Amino acid sequence: MTVKSMPLPKQKRRMGIDRKRSLEAYIFLIPWLVGVCLFFAYPIFVSIRLAFSDIVEFKGLKTAWVGLENYQYIFFYDIKFVPTFLQVIYDTLLNTPLCIVFSLVIAILINRKMVGRGFFRTAFFIPVLLGTGYIMKQLLGMGVDGTTITTGIMVPKLIAELLGASITEVVQGFLDRITLVLWKSGVQIVLFLAGLQGISGSLYEAARVDGATEWEMFWKITLPMISPVIMMNVIYTIVAFFTDGTNPMVDYIYKMNFTNQQYEYAAAMSWLYFIFALVICLLCILLMRRHIYDSGSKS
Amino acid sequence: MTTKAVYKPHRFKLRLHRLTFSRFMLYLLLTVLVVIAGLPLFAMVCRSLMPLDELYIYPPRLIVHKPTLRNFSDLLTSLSSSTVPFTRYIFNSLFTTVVTVLASVMVCCMGAYGLVKHKPAGSGVIFAVVVAALSFSTHVTQIPNYLVVNKLGLVNSYWALIIPKIAVAYNFFLVKQFCEQLPDSILEAARIDGAKEFKVFWTIAMPLLKPAWTTLAVFSFVNNWNDYFSPLIFISSNALKTLPLALQTLAGGAGVVARAGTVGAATFLTTVPSILVFAIMRGKVMETMSFSGIKS
Repeated sequence: MTVKSMPLPKQKRRMGIDRKRSLEAYIFLIPWLVGVCLFFAYPIFVSIRLAFSDIVEFKGLKTAWVGLENYQYIFFYDIKFVPTFLQVIYDTLLNTPLCIVFSLVIAILINRKMVGRGFFRTAFFIPVLLGTGYIMKQLLGMGVDGTTITTGIMVPKLIAELLGASITEVVQGFLDRITLVLWKSGVQIVLFLAGLQGISGSLYEAARVDGATEWEMFWKITLPMISPVIMMNVIYTIVAFFTDGTNPMVDYIYKMNFTNQQYEYAAAMSWLYFIFALVICLLCILLMRRHIYDSGSKS
Repeated sequence: MTTKAVYKPHRFKLRLHRLTFSRFMLYLLLTVLVVIAGLPLFAMVCRSLMPLDELYIYPPRLIVHKPTLRNFSDLLTSLSSSTVPFTRYIFNSLFTTVVTVLASVMVCCMGAYGLVKHKPAGSGVIFAVVVAALSFSTHVTQIPNYLVVNKLGLVNSYWALIIPKIAVAYNFFLVKQFCEQLPDSILEAARIDGAKEFKVFWTIAMPLLKPAWTTLAVFSFVNNWNDYFSPLIFISSNALKTLPLALQTLAGGAGVVARAGTVGAATFLTTVPSILVFAIMRGKVMETMSFSGIKS
């Protein structure tokens, strides 16, 4: 009897401690939870409701459920949505691979032991600091004639004359894109650098002993070992391009919200847009998953 | 022993010799890229130093020939069309950003510590919310956010720029990653010595989490400093505008031609603090970012 009744009070006390610790945890968490509920969870809820309804009365935001009507309008009546959307998709699909390849190359280059490594690392990261906000716009769009700095580098006039207009245009377009990509890949470079530093040096040593060239080592060691980071960067880049402030789609949604005050319509559009971005990310994950090297010790 | 001594310098020499050309090309390439990346920045600095006549020369000049500080003095002393001195905008930006950063560091560290080190009931749900919030873009919740802020009566006050930005998922996630590395035994030892939970957090966990929250502080600073969106939505009074918004007012509207130089100067002043903050914390930030990035 005594033996049976012994564990009971002990268990009770442990429950007490657990509960006390839980309580303490929530005291620590409360400020954060309040913030998230107010400025994330509740807005999400309202936004979903808005996307499927029509605002009847602006005061107090009274809404009536209309189902998919907003979406019908998006696809069948709005002449601006689909072209803008396609433009954003086109830009993203073009810029993402460029960004990934470019930042990987840069990361490999500045991962070498060399003079001024710290300087280069900072230099490539500075665009991130200036953000994607208005300052960035201001910076890239400066200049009285508007084009000189936007395009970063102008094809020198002499070369332009030699090549002819059509070729110059292609070259200029390419240079523009390089500037853009350069300004958008700071974070990716840092992530790649970290990934590169995580690869064990003994692998390269072994390959070198076996007589592998640098080129072979890149394809057979670096690329497979860094594939998880590539995946992460692809997702990051896609999301970054999609949510960028200079993005025409984001701009359109914003205008719909604050200039036209069609909240429900803007909400419907932004959900469509967000879900599309999510689908693209998932597709990338699915496509890339079989090529990702899994070290088995993923955390 | 002797073979080693002979072999080593030989190998070193070979390597050095082999790499000089490719190394030269490497430096050349990197420098060109840095120049491309830095060109807008450089142009901005130059424009902020250009006198008015030089700003409108055709073809436009990239490099300033007669640098002057007049743009800055114009900006800081007299702005003809605005009743609010430029220093007020600087103060607005500084105040809201610093308060946001401090509050965010505190709230996110406390929350992450509580979540990771106490594992309260429902911590799985909370973590799921964090991850969901990470992948959400803000434009989905713009309007409802405005409604909440409006209902709280914060519109057109400093608090509208501060309060919504405190509980940020990214910051929480960053600290959480680091909290998981904190050894329980240290915390337990302090508790056994009779320290209250908050004291454990403040005197033991916080110093150990320093790399995490310094990084958080830098990023939070840069993000809030550059944020153009929330002041645009929440602030209508001219006296409460922050720098990015003031910059837009300055760059648009009447008399912009005469102000081209001051706009350059204003842009320059706006970019300086984030670069400074980053330059000071560079090593730590890079380290932490890569760490947390790889773990996610």
